[in-house]
Amino acid sequence: MLVEVLTSVFNIQIFLFIILGVFTGICIGALPGLTATMGVALVLPLTFGLDAIPGILLLIGVYVGAIYGGSISGILLRTPGTPAAAATAIDGYEFSKRGESGRAMGISTVSSFIGGVVSVIALWLIAPQLAKLALRFSAPEFFLLAVFGLSIIASISGNSLAKGVLCGGLGISLSFIGIDGITGFPRFTFNDINLLSGMSFIPVMIGLFAMSQAFRTIEDIFTPDQVSQKISHVWPSKSDWKIILKFAPISGLIGTIIGIVPGAGAEIGAFVSYSQAKRMSKRPELFGTGIPEAIAAPEGGNNGVTGGALIPMLTMGVPGDAVAAIMIGALTVQGLQPGPLLFTEHTTLVYSIFLGMFVANVAMLVLGLSSLKLFVKVLSIPKAILTPMIFVLCVVGSYAINTNFFDVGVMLFFGIVGYFMQKVDMSVSPAVLGLILGPMAESNFRRALLMSEGNYSIFFTSVIAWIFVALIFITLLGPQITALFKRKTA
Amino acid sequence: MKKALVLLMLLSLVLGSAFAQGGAEVNADNYPSGPVSVIVPYSAGGGTDLVARALVDAAKDSFPKNISVENRTGGGGAVGMSYGAHAKADGSVISMITVELVTLPHTGTGAGLYYDQFKPIMMVNSAYSAVTVKADSPYNTLNEFLDAAKTQTMRVGNSGVGAIWHLAAAGLAKAAGVTFNHIPFDGAAPAITSLLGGHIDAVTVSYAEVASQVKAGNLKVLAVLAPERISATPDIPTAKELGYDVAIGTWRGLGVPKDTPQPIADKIYSIFSQAAKSDSFIKFMNSSNNIIDVMDSASYGKKLATDNEMFKSLIAELGLKQQ
Repeated sequence: MLVEVLTSVFNIQIFLFIILGVFTGICIGALPGLTATMGVALVLPLTFGLDAIPGILLLIGVYVGAIYGGSISGILLRTPGTPAAAATAIDGYEFSKRGESGRAMGISTVSSFIGGVVSVIALWLIAPQLAKLALRFSAPEFFLLAVFGLSIIASISGNSLAKGVLCGGLGISLSFIGIDGITGFPRFTFNDINLLSGMSFIPVMIGLFAMSQAFRTIEDIFTPDQVSQKISHVWPSKSDWKIILKFAPISGLIGTIIGIVPGAGAEIGAFVSYSQAKRMSKRPELFGTGIPEAIAAPEGGNNGVTGGALIPMLTMGVPGDAVAAIMIGALTVQGLQPGPLLFTEHTTLVYSIFLGMFVANVAMLVLGLSSLKLFVKVLSIPKAILTPMIFVLCVVGSYAINTNFFDVGVMLFFGIVGYFMQKVDMSVSPAVLGLILGPMAESNFRRALLMSEGNYSIFFTSVIAWIFVALIFITLLGPQITALFKRKTA
Repeated sequence: MKKALVLLMLLSLVLGSAFAQGGAEVNADNYPSGPVSVIVPYSAGGGTDLVARALVDAAKDSFPKNISVENRTGGGGAVGMSYGAHAKADGSVISMITVELVTLPHTGTGAGLYYDQFKPIMMVNSAYSAVTVKADSPYNTLNEFLDAAKTQTMRVGNSGVGAIWHLAAAGLAKAAGVTFNHIPFDGAAPAITSLLGGHIDAVTVSYAEVASQVKAGNLKVLAVLAPERISATPDIPTAKELGYDVAIGTWRGLGVPKDTPQPIADKIYSIFSQAAKSDSFIKFMNSSNNIIDVMDSASYGKKLATDNEMFKSLIAELGLKQQ
């Protein structure tokens, strides 16, 4: 097995795909407005023609690269390239003001690498164990897990609880369309054959994440981004190394744990790591003035999410974040179903993903340290050239999945929906999680009742079920309880 | 101006179709005179897709003007098969047809699809249902399992309501005079996972789908619902031998629109029946646990008709008919 894994990853073709993925990812991440989710959604259709291993590793390369790449524009322009780099931008830009953008980017690169590697190790250690545990999951446990994921959407996504819930609800209602999996009745299909199998997931994703952003770029298509910094002293100094090694590994671990939680993505990983570092630091008052730990922590944290998010995705088919949700689509296209069987029947693939992800992190480190100047140049590509390219990729990509023109219409529709959602400051991620977790909750609820012949006690018969019930209560009521305590002590 | 534009568009449509008609004068001797596409009604990378691609790959030398596989998914296969049934009847569009062709029309989700819209070319492979339980299950034979089902409710997992493995379990229950508690899953893999975890009592998916877990010693097959024993597993009895007259499985084959000239259909049969005998195709099918089961046009046509009747009555009895 080990030999198979090594030969499947350590060959020039796979290396090229990973490097290509990381390179594309860094460029996409560096460009403000193009997020990691969008990058993966855009590259996804290119993997249809590839084998499973190169296809998935290409996507993982884009994911890892984009999460890191966001810090480049965050540091230089104070405009985070991806939401995950928002925390980095705070202190990163202070470095640039002092003319030390090279130093900041070096710290960011090395910390991202450490965070990424920590998460890959965690993925490699935890995922196979969790896959064994996942066999103990039956319909009631999956139902409660999905509800737990949905409750997280409500409490953490976006700035407003109401908008998050609304958006998640939109995703769940979209999932109602199509043949009902338990009784076989068509729902909301309006006798249209295209709607029988439900909303095609990938065109919806491309529309919500990529097309909507491209629409948005049109608004300021002729305003160029100004970059006039000299990049030097990228390799961190001895004292910077000390700080990186103190903060990045812990942040990586925090990021991994946040990645495992369904629905919580890299931006949350970055902010939690940032505030944790502030608590750990001996000089919290200097955060915001441009100190190394304020870059090392969020960058270790957001790249830590990458491996964590794949853990529930591979073992149970539950996405850790929006990118992992797209990767479920990528696996399904290859005829692979995420879940415990993946670990016993496609062992080589699973371990190749682990090893390939490590290689992707190394590629990110090497590319980051050697070619920063090139990536900075990417920032000055005129949007008038970039945006039409994205339009083309969106249309081709959504047509390619089923060679059905209806899907292009779906993509355009959700591009417009996504555009207006962003206009009113709604995050689109909850919609995607709703689209995946909604049907999972529904079908498992009904399947559980079929199994128990209508007896509701089936939801409370196992320890795992009770744990999820407790977690759901904590997520839903936790904020209210802490608020209550705060009011009492105040 | 607007009128002129509409007129121009209409004119070009008429002329265009006239030219297309003119080009469609095909005779069997020079078939294939143009590019040919094979419609797969399921997504790329799935079981049907892989078989189609392997077969097309083995036949590609007979198509000098190129042959390509096109995935048109949706509606549980209805979208792609409808497209294939209504394509030009000149052999330029060949469809992979599957057992859903004779089940979907009866569940009411076939969107006007009916098996007689196709001229069957040949059957390529078949896969029969395997009644599978956990390795440590107390039941060692199909009889023990069905006897137990008379006194307790057996939870039998399938790959989706109205899907072929649901119908297989229902057909077995009917033959044995018992009732199962059918638990639908979203595909075969989650059903197998649930069986491995001990949450259900049996699954009735194909042997190929449980093969790796059976070889690993986690699951055991009590019987196959096949007309005769499967060559890959000669030790497993058929339900028929044990006294339950039921044989239900899926199959895949090639079909063209029903108005396709017979000489062209014959030419397609001769090309693909050769391809099905090629080493590369046989090797692929063996390595992917698929069983090659070639049937010529006439016997395949008969099978379509008998299966259609069987599923029609079975689905009606199950109350799965919609609307």
